[in-house]
Amino acid sequence: MGGTEDERRRRASRAFPRLPAADEGPPPLEDLLAGVARGDERAYEAVYDQTSGWVLGVIRKVLRDPAQSEEVMQEVLLDVWRSAARFDPALGSGTSWVMTMAHRRAVDRVRSERSHASRELRSASAVIDYDDVIEAVQASLDRERVQHCLVSLTPLQRECVNLAYYGGYTYREVAELLGVPAGTVKTRMRDGLIRLRDCLGVE
Amino acid sequence: MASGDSELHTLVGAYVMDAVTEFERAAFSRHLTSCPECRAEIRELQEAAARLGTAAAVLPRSELKGQTIRAASRISQLPPATPAPGRTWRRLTALPRAALMAAAVLAASAAVLGVVTQHTMQQLDHSQRQNHMIAAVLNAPDVVILTAKVSTGGTATVMMSHSEHALVFTAHGLRALPAARSYELWLMGPHGDRPAGMLTAEAGGMAGPAVVSGLTPGDMIGLTIEPVAGSRQPTSAPIVLIGHGNN
Repeated sequence: MGGTEDERRRRASRAFPRLPAADEGPPPLEDLLAGVARGDERAYEAVYDQTSGWVLGVIRKVLRDPAQSEEVMQEVLLDVWRSAARFDPALGSGTSWVMTMAHRRAVDRVRSERSHASRELRSASAVIDYDDVIEAVQASLDRERVQHCLVSLTPLQRECVNLAYYGGYTYREVAELLGVPAGTVKTRMRDGLIRLRDCLGVE
Repeated sequence: MASGDSELHTLVGAYVMDAVTEFERAAFSRHLTSCPECRAEIRELQEAAARLGTAAAVLPRSELKGQTIRAASRISQLPPATPAPGRTWRRLTALPRAALMAAAVLAASAAVLGVVTQHTMQQLDHSQRQNHMIAAVLNAPDVVILTAKVSTGGTATVMMSHSEHALVFTAHGLRALPAARSYELWLMGPHGDRPAGMLTAEAGGMAGPAVVSGLTPGDMIGLTIEPVAGSRQPTSAPIVLIGHGNN
């Protein structure tokens, strides 16, 4: 019996020599990114596993189109490979670094689409859709937490954050959509995010 | 910019959520270099915004993993940024090199990524190169931002960097032109008038960003109305002329 357990452990450590045992959780993204910066393809694979769902998720929210979203997701992941040496943990977490790139790319893409198509403003979804989200325990815990915190915002703060982050609109477009002065939208975006930060307890 | 700084600071939330235009992003990034408190605030708010993103996670199709990893293995990696960005950024992102690098990376991913069509790649190639040039101008230590009224209607804004020998031109509220006429940009200065590209005004008279390279000392950027095919030399007086005298 002990033999099979040993055997399993040996096989697992051969498959993932750099990863700690499963109960210690995955290695921190920051460490993996440092590996990617050195050209470590195995670290890159682990980064892909850890982040591709997040990246595709945020892009899908902004872009909607599934095929284009996959394309942009791949661009972002290739950017992660290419520029991992530029990641500086002193400036923020690995998650924040990857998500900032993903969101910016999605927004760039959706804006160029919108300027090609008529500048028609579509309605952004009010809250997170539950249809196609990952059914993993950690992911659904995260989602519930964020959802809970979004509900703690004032309705205007929530609308501003939703339209900007998930809709990809500029604060001026949001002001136009909501019929509220642009200055008000700017401050609601800021204090909405501050409240979200406090509620989520991120540093 | 004196009156603009506290005004700029309220942009923190919009900036973190990419709810700003390219110009506002550039102006705000410049503001950040002199505002350590803003950088700390941005860092925290970026972490919060990232959670909005990760909460929307979906499972990618499994084929994408192999494709992406194979594509990455053929793309060369960038060296680390050096620690004094203000001083070294310009050298790191010298225009031709950045453009070449972008082109090389795109060529590599085009060869490998089955999902990306030829047409999309060409668009990306162009827009990515343009983005690199815009980034180089906007982040140059000597960039100046100048705005002027267009005599026939609208406003033009130029971000100009002599160290990058380039500028970025945008306009809004430009008058719609008859089908046979078009807007054309010119570099106008001691070296004569050189055509700097046609400018298409879209809905609402929005135009640009147009990247103009080959800027030499003393040059200004001018806009004229020309026959739709463009001209070799301006055939009418500029409806706006922007530059700064001391260079």
